[in-house]
Amino acid sequence: MTARLLIAALLLISSAARAAAPATGLEVSAPPYNDGLNLDLSWTPPADTTGLMVLRSDQGPDGPWTVAAGPLPAGASSTTDKVTTDPRGSPPKALYWYRLVSLDSDSPLLILDEEAEDDAPAKAAWAAQLAASQGATASVEGRPQAALFNTSLGHMLLLGLILGVGGLMLWFTDQARKGAPMFIRRIPGIDAIEEGIGRATEMGKPVLYVPGIDELQDIQTIASMLILGQVSKTVAEYQTDIIVSCCIPMVREVADEVVKAGYYQAGYPDAYDPRNTRFLSSEQFAFTAGTNGIILREKPATNIYLGRFFAEALILAETGYVNRSIQIAGTAEATQLPFFVAACDYTLIGEELFAVSAYLSRDPRLVSSLKASDYVKVFLVVSLVVGTVAMSLGSDIVVRLFTITGG
Amino acid sequence: MKRSLPLIITFLIGMFMIGEFFIPHYRYRVWTAEFLEWGLILAAAAFVLGFVNLIQVNAPKVARRDADWGYKLIMLVVMIVTMVAGFIAGEERSRVDNLYKWVYDFVFVPLNATMFALLAFYISSAAFRAFRARNLEAALLLGAAILVMIARVPAGESLPVVGEYLPKVMNWIMDVPNIAARRAIFIGAALGAVATGLRVILGLERSHLGAD
Repeated sequence: MTARLLIAALLLISSAARAAAPATGLEVSAPPYNDGLNLDLSWTPPADTTGLMVLRSDQGPDGPWTVAAGPLPAGASSTTDKVTTDPRGSPPKALYWYRLVSLDSDSPLLILDEEAEDDAPAKAAWAAQLAASQGATASVEGRPQAALFNTSLGHMLLLGLILGVGGLMLWFTDQARKGAPMFIRRIPGIDAIEEGIGRATEMGKPVLYVPGIDELQDIQTIASMLILGQVSKTVAEYQTDIIVSCCIPMVREVADEVVKAGYYQAGYPDAYDPRNTRFLSSEQFAFTAGTNGIILREKPATNIYLGRFFAEALILAETGYVNRSIQIAGTAEATQLPFFVAACDYTLIGEELFAVSAYLSRDPRLVSSLKASDYVKVFLVVSLVVGTVAMSLGSDIVVRLFTITGG
Repeated sequence: MKRSLPLIITFLIGMFMIGEFFIPHYRYRVWTAEFLEWGLILAAAAFVLGFVNLIQVNAPKVARRDADWGYKLIMLVVMIVTMVAGFIAGEERSRVDNLYKWVYDFVFVPLNATMFALLAFYISSAAFRAFRARNLEAALLLGAAILVMIARVPAGESLPVVGEYLPKVMNWIMDVPNIAARRAIFIGAALGAVATGLRVILGLERSHLGAD
């Protein structure tokens, strides 16, 4: 049985009997700083329409047409059309043509064969009917333009900040090499890591390290891996065990290499046990249950949670509290920080997580990067104050400077 | 060479990926998408290594009848049964009734919900400790928490005299000091992330490169 289905355009039919006038002033242009896949359309909507359809052709001003967007609300006056969603397989054409169709009660209806998976002929026929209807505008062409570089103020400022951090890092590194002192303020949470490892050694119990539950490419996980290198080296020097509990297999592989490197650097390669770097599960709560099991059965003296955590943060930290472990946590995830603060002995807040590696290593080259980001922080604080004053005086210049535009 | 090559690759790929933010051209993004796909393939391959690791860690403990070996045996059996059931059911595993879907619906989902539900009790015990007014900061925290909690429940608004002001006080606490502190954390963390990323890309940070 072939059933016929009326869709989409039915929604737009009103009681208006007369034909809707075409929209006027249709303009097609490439958005600024664009990837070359989008075109902006703007027009003045007619008064008597029930909705608008945007038709696109990549062959010529007379079609064939495809529906690019719609039905749009009657009062809509602009839209952005993505000319292709698969630029690798179907790159954008040099030129596109558009028609805007005002819909009314006489507009053709789309009738699809419900048994056909994608009734392309029916859609093409419908688009052709729409393009030929009275409510259609004349064809207007548009040329996608891909920008080679985004030179908007916001992007340039961001580039300046990144280059600024990089440049300051290299300059301070050079200063450190020449012997200039690099001061870094004391962070009790980081000092506690070494104390915690010492405590574990005295108690003859392992240290548990959890690098969060996010993928390896997350910057917090990367920071956690860098810290793990320092922690495992200290653990090896103290001749104690470290259990690394991982939620992502790729993170486990990297953690395994990092722990191995720590033991090698400490001069105890034989003490390294790959079975202590464990993948438990990539499911959040299965991983949490597994890590809780480690805490309750293997009773680590010190738990270190550094990385990106979500709802499991408090479950892990409270289980560690029940186990009477010393707990040091650090994350830049603002929603989980209160839980760590409440349940752990020490918490590294936000940026402190990214400072741990440099702090522990005391390598002047790494400490110099902290100094560089501190200088940029001063710049941002000054910008915030200036921006607040400027906005209070009615000027949005600083806001515009920090606004990111373009794709 | 074992250290230099990863450093060179990290630098080149890192700079290329930073470039994506400043070069909007679609051809550039096709390449960055390609690199990200390589990453996904590597991550998928790592699941095989994760499976091997689970066997390596748990099977010997079962064989030796170590403490709690029964849990490890259950874990290994369930893992293998679920995996085999998934392979047998194929692409339809989540849609039609089969062993995989049964395990998912009637074992995994309830266990997951149970773990999540524990959070309510953990929040209570953590809050009890956090809200003890041991010093000025903790007392301020306690005061703010009580105000926000009372204002969030319907009974708070119906309190005589103060009821109508509580939501305003709560909104001020949430929108002013709370948002200010969150933004400070975000800005600091973002800068820390940039510095950490640059340390890795520029090769200043090398502790992740593994053993020589």
